[in-house]
Amino acid sequence: MTTYHLRVNGREHAVDTDPDTPLLYVLRNDLQLNGAKFGCGLGQCGACAVTLGGEAVMSCLVPVSVVGERPVGTVEGLGNAQAPGALQQAFIAEQAAQCGYCIAGMMMRAQSLLANNPTPTDAEIRRHMMPNLCRCGTHMRILRAVRRAADALHGKGAKA
Amino acid sequence: MDPANHPPQPRRHARRRWIVPALLLLVLVLAAFVIMWRPAIAPQQAAPGFDPATIERGQRLAAVGTCAACHTVDPSRPFAGGLALATPFGTVYSTNITPDVRTGIGGWTEAAFTRALREGVSRDGHLLYPAFPYDHYTRLAQDDIRAMYAYFMTRPALDAPAPENDMTFPFGFRPLVAFWNILYLKKEPWRPDPAKGVEWNRGAYLSEALAHCTACHTPRTKLGGTDFKRHLDGGVAEGWYVPALNAKSPSPVPWTREHLAEYLRTGIAPDHAVAGGPMQSVVENLRLADPRDVDAIATYIHGYLAQAPVRQTRAAVPGSLPAPAAGDPDLARMRIGYDAYVTACARCHEVGREATSGAALPLQKAVALYDPDPRSLIHIVRDGIAPPDGEPARWMPAFGAILTDDQTAALTAYLRRYGAGQPQWEQIEDKVKKAKQP
Amino acid sequence: MSRTLQSPSRRRLLAAGGSLTVTFAIAPAWAQDETPLNKGKMPGSLEKEPWLDAWIRIDADNRITVFTGKAELGQGIKTALLQVAAEELLVAPARITLVTADTARTPNEGYTAGSHSMQDSGTALRHAAAHVRTVLGELAARRFGIGAPAVTVRDGAFQAPDGRRATYGELLAGQQLHLRADPTIPVRAPDGHTIAGKPMQRVDVPAKVTGGVAYVQDLRLPGMVHGRVVRPPTPGARLLEVDTAVVTRLPGVLKVVRDGRFLAVIADGEYRAVKAAAALARAARWDTPPTLPADPTPAVLVRALPAKPTPILARGTPGAAGRTLAASYTKPFQLHASIGPSCAVAQLAGGQYTVWTHSQGVYPLRDALAEMLGADKAKIRCIHTEGSGCYGHNAADDVAADAALLARAFPGRPVRVQWMREDENGWEPYGPAMLTAVRATLDPAGRIADWQYDVWSPPHNTRPGKAGNLLAATHLEKPFVPDTPKPSPQPEGSGDRNAIPYYVIPNARVVHQFQERAPLRTSALRSLGAYCNVFSIESFMDELAHAAQADPVAFRLRHLADPRAVDVVRRAAQRFGWDNYKKTPRRGRGFAFARYKNLAAYCAIALEVEVARDTGMVRIVRAVAAVDCGEIVNPDGVRNQIEGGIVQSASWTLLERVRFDERQILTRDWAQYPILRFNQVPERLEVDLIDRPGQPFLGTGEASQGPTGAAIANAVADACGLRLRDLPLDRARLRAGR
Repeated sequence: MTTYHLRVNGREHAVDTDPDTPLLYVLRNDLQLNGAKFGCGLGQCGACAVTLGGEAVMSCLVPVSVVGERPVGTVEGLGNAQAPGALQQAFIAEQAAQCGYCIAGMMMRAQSLLANNPTPTDAEIRRHMMPNLCRCGTHMRILRAVRRAADALHGKGAKA
Repeated sequence: MDPANHPPQPRRHARRRWIVPALLLLVLVLAAFVIMWRPAIAPQQAAPGFDPATIERGQRLAAVGTCAACHTVDPSRPFAGGLALATPFGTVYSTNITPDVRTGIGGWTEAAFTRALREGVSRDGHLLYPAFPYDHYTRLAQDDIRAMYAYFMTRPALDAPAPENDMTFPFGFRPLVAFWNILYLKKEPWRPDPAKGVEWNRGAYLSEALAHCTACHTPRTKLGGTDFKRHLDGGVAEGWYVPALNAKSPSPVPWTREHLAEYLRTGIAPDHAVAGGPMQSVVENLRLADPRDVDAIATYIHGYLAQAPVRQTRAAVPGSLPAPAAGDPDLARMRIGYDAYVTACARCHEVGREATSGAALPLQKAVALYDPDPRSLIHIVRDGIAPPDGEPARWMPAFGAILTDDQTAALTAYLRRYGAGQPQWEQIEDKVKKAKQP
Repeated sequence: MSRTLQSPSRRRLLAAGGSLTVTFAIAPAWAQDETPLNKGKMPGSLEKEPWLDAWIRIDADNRITVFTGKAELGQGIKTALLQVAAEELLVAPARITLVTADTARTPNEGYTAGSHSMQDSGTALRHAAAHVRTVLGELAARRFGIGAPAVTVRDGAFQAPDGRRATYGELLAGQQLHLRADPTIPVRAPDGHTIAGKPMQRVDVPAKVTGGVAYVQDLRLPGMVHGRVVRPPTPGARLLEVDTAVVTRLPGVLKVVRDGRFLAVIADGEYRAVKAAAALARAARWDTPPTLPADPTPAVLVRALPAKPTPILARGTPGAAGRTLAASYTKPFQLHASIGPSCAVAQLAGGQYTVWTHSQGVYPLRDALAEMLGADKAKIRCIHTEGSGCYGHNAADDVAADAALLARAFPGRPVRVQWMREDENGWEPYGPAMLTAVRATLDPAGRIADWQYDVWSPPHNTRPGKAGNLLAATHLEKPFVPDTPKPSPQPEGSGDRNAIPYYVIPNARVVHQFQERAPLRTSALRSLGAYCNVFSIESFMDELAHAAQADPVAFRLRHLADPRAVDVVRRAAQRFGWDNYKKTPRRGRGFAFARYKNLAAYCAIALEVEVARDTGMVRIVRAVAAVDCGEIVNPDGVRNQIEGGIVQSASWTLLERVRFDERQILTRDWAQYPILRFNQVPERLEVDLIDRPGQPFLGTGEASQGPTGAAIANAVADACGLRLRDLPLDRARLRAGR
């Protein structure tokens, strides 16, 4: 067991755990953050997606020992039920969820796109979201929600 | 004669002095023009018909030629082109080779198609960049070219204009390629080696003339031509290091002919790594080829691979990779690398997982650790190896966003020393940074 | 907003149920004697649970709790039921707390399955709430001393014209309405609806997008520990020996459990449990003989299984003259492939088991657990807690059994068991492989004169009830044996669901070849046999239309009598632009129609695909669906389910196949079992709803699976001339052309 100092959603946390514990379990069990989910543990489905240093990563593959000082972002950092952030508002407005299990991962994947490319085309959104799976078939709404968030954040200047 | 009325002697000499160089220049320009210029071949109005057997033969041959590896970017638009190929001379984009009249090769006669493959000249006479390996295709038998022509002319036509190339000055001036051709385009027909068997010769023909293995697996000269004197010594492709396939093969586990054939057909063979990077699309194409042709290529290549001396390597040592030795001069970096290995890699790469769920090659057997160059290992770690869209295959995840540059470099150094037990690579940090550029 | 009550006459109320025998002051609870209300069946689940206070309770402080025996599976049922109850109770939905399936608190409505939830629970709640509101109105009128029609109601309180108010809670003063529901009490007229039938945002979504506690996977109970089960490496494996001692010494390990082939480890931290389970797997030696079929081709495998033929339709006489066509279709084993592998938490404390589970049926699960544990049912409480989408009988019950066993082995503390991805893919009950054979005769006028259809299928229902249907129970030292599966009778059906075509065919015979066992464990996957049967029938309808040289839509209309079926077919075709469609190279259009179970929702789908034969890639360019599900409670919920069903079915149709060799399942992760990703979902997808206010609710959640499969196959045939009859239409098959 080692103590790790993590910066998650802008706050410092000290966590005692084994070095090879994936960040996913640290977020869920040590920090009680529900957003990132266990889907496969193999980096194939994206249910665990969070941002690390601003880039989307599969937190099931990230050993806590390599995180270091890089900031971790989860869906809880985008807003809460009383004051949802732009991306969350877009997902609620589009009712972009059926069982909803994949959605937090979808949002963090989308978050990394919007942070680096504020005016993505529809094709760019579609390609960017490919690492994330949805089994309920909510894809059309998810794409609309990301489009909606991009437009809301950066104005309807998106390229066609 | 009065001296004042005569022109001075020096002026007459001067005139003569620049006439000769001017004439020489003119001759050179004319010669260059002759070298560089090619006529257009008139477009055809309608494609001829083709019989199904020829088309199918052409399909199998195109699979060996791995045409789709460069000419298909989006699997729902086969052969529409658009792949960016970074070369030392700039970025070349592959073209549309569907029979679309406006944006593809729909107007090309068989003669135009043949000239492109044998001489690297487009239908309208402009020279093609040798990123298109016509220096290999030039040795194809006419029957094979005809079959491939039949295949391509019967594909669905797609409207897809090629993106503009982005060449470094002066390589944007295509006619310069003519001089490259003088050096590197050897338009000799294929000749089998009477000392070798039928299958070896078939494999040699397919490999050299069609699959163009040496285009990646042989080093290139400064001018980008194949260095014939170093046949199968290894090379570089798309930022990956390409291993040698001869006596210099770095593979820690010797290849059998059967395993090589299996690898070429499926992308994986026991005790060898999964095909990754540019080799992945080669394997996806060979999967669609005639299996006997793939076996022949394996026979040919294995003839060279078998010349590699059997070495004692760590590949024969089973079990976990060791922790860095206490006295290691690079201990700090080795510890970082080891920690990354144990926490991020060992979960799949050490024993204990099922083949059907994440099991991966023990790294002491991975050829990338034994390459003289770390670039393949760096790319595998950063980019992973993902299955083709919608098709089942092995999947190694990408760690590019998970590990920092320092961690990647340290992991690379650790694996080189404690996985392969080989002399350390140079400038690893630099190569990690360079690998990030798309 | 105020409402004037439409109250039935008091005389009718009294006559219907005997006297209201108690007054406000004296009665401990509203009660009624036991004589049944009416001779006929009660609507929906009221048949099983007729007492009002089982469904609706109102506290003295006016808080309303509504109970349903159904479960939220991500299909939005919580929201829809809230809308139904709120509409009839005339309160804002936010006032109501909805409690879902819990063996200690809610009615027993069996399984949340078969698209029954609105029909069963929605109908029951609608009538129960109407009855409650009516009784309350009577009480208010009595309190105010005025006639009932003079009373108005607004958001949980009644009002007299002079302004006096009485809330529901004040009227009941802590008593509950122990009355049998009276289904003759009219429910609110649809044209007056302000909540039901209107879009309402799902109540569960905000927590799901903000990281709230939303799933059984999110449960954190005091003292909770983590379990992982080590399953045999192959279905037929025998455990030879296992060195549990080395695992017991690992950090954090609290207990190693071995009971026959059931191996598990409990640890104080989740990842420690994962690592300990990997170590336990390495410490075990198994014998793994080949027990699976050598040839996995469905046509071969399914044909080889013993079958019991059951005719389910025999109409007219065979032997009509005309042109005869025949075809056979197959589907492989397929996964539920829930994104979140199954999870449960169980605790044994004070002799009482509590199990938090996302099982579709908490009551049947309780029975099975009682049998497995040798415990009294009354000592087991199963509480439904939402998991990720299950799409039928996945591993939810199995993991609950694992958790219960580990809770018994480690009493006192809650034990959380999470299946890994390889466990879920390897051990969940699969959607069965199926084979169909159809033969039909066209008369000279191009109408179907004769129809013969056979469907061979292993079981679609091996749900617990019985302990032998829980995976762990079959691995114990004293193993339980799986129940002998039985086919569900028509009109619901199982493998024969939707095997009877909805078309008008004068002579037709349909036979269900029920197969009791398959080499792999199978059970219900969304729409059961309907996916394969509709795929077969609707593909064959296109083949017949082609032979009759008729347009596929016109050919179907030629054989449909039900005007609602005609409506959805016409609507989908018109919305798609079927009549003006211009075929372009590489693209084609396909159409399909079905009425789910021939008695639930109507669904017609038209779609366009683009096919690249060289790579085998099929892309859906656009899809249009027209749906009639009776009276719509939550239009967006219906749209969501249909869209989702189309995309999911497209994934099944274009990609999915469980692969195995003679020893083991090979498709253990997403790399080996790819499902549809964003690059292959349609460019455009539209769902057109036909609302039928006043008509009964029709189950919708599974209505689009079958038509999508057939529409894709028909579109591929149109695009490139390839008629493919064996699912999936994956890239390898498209490249090979067969």
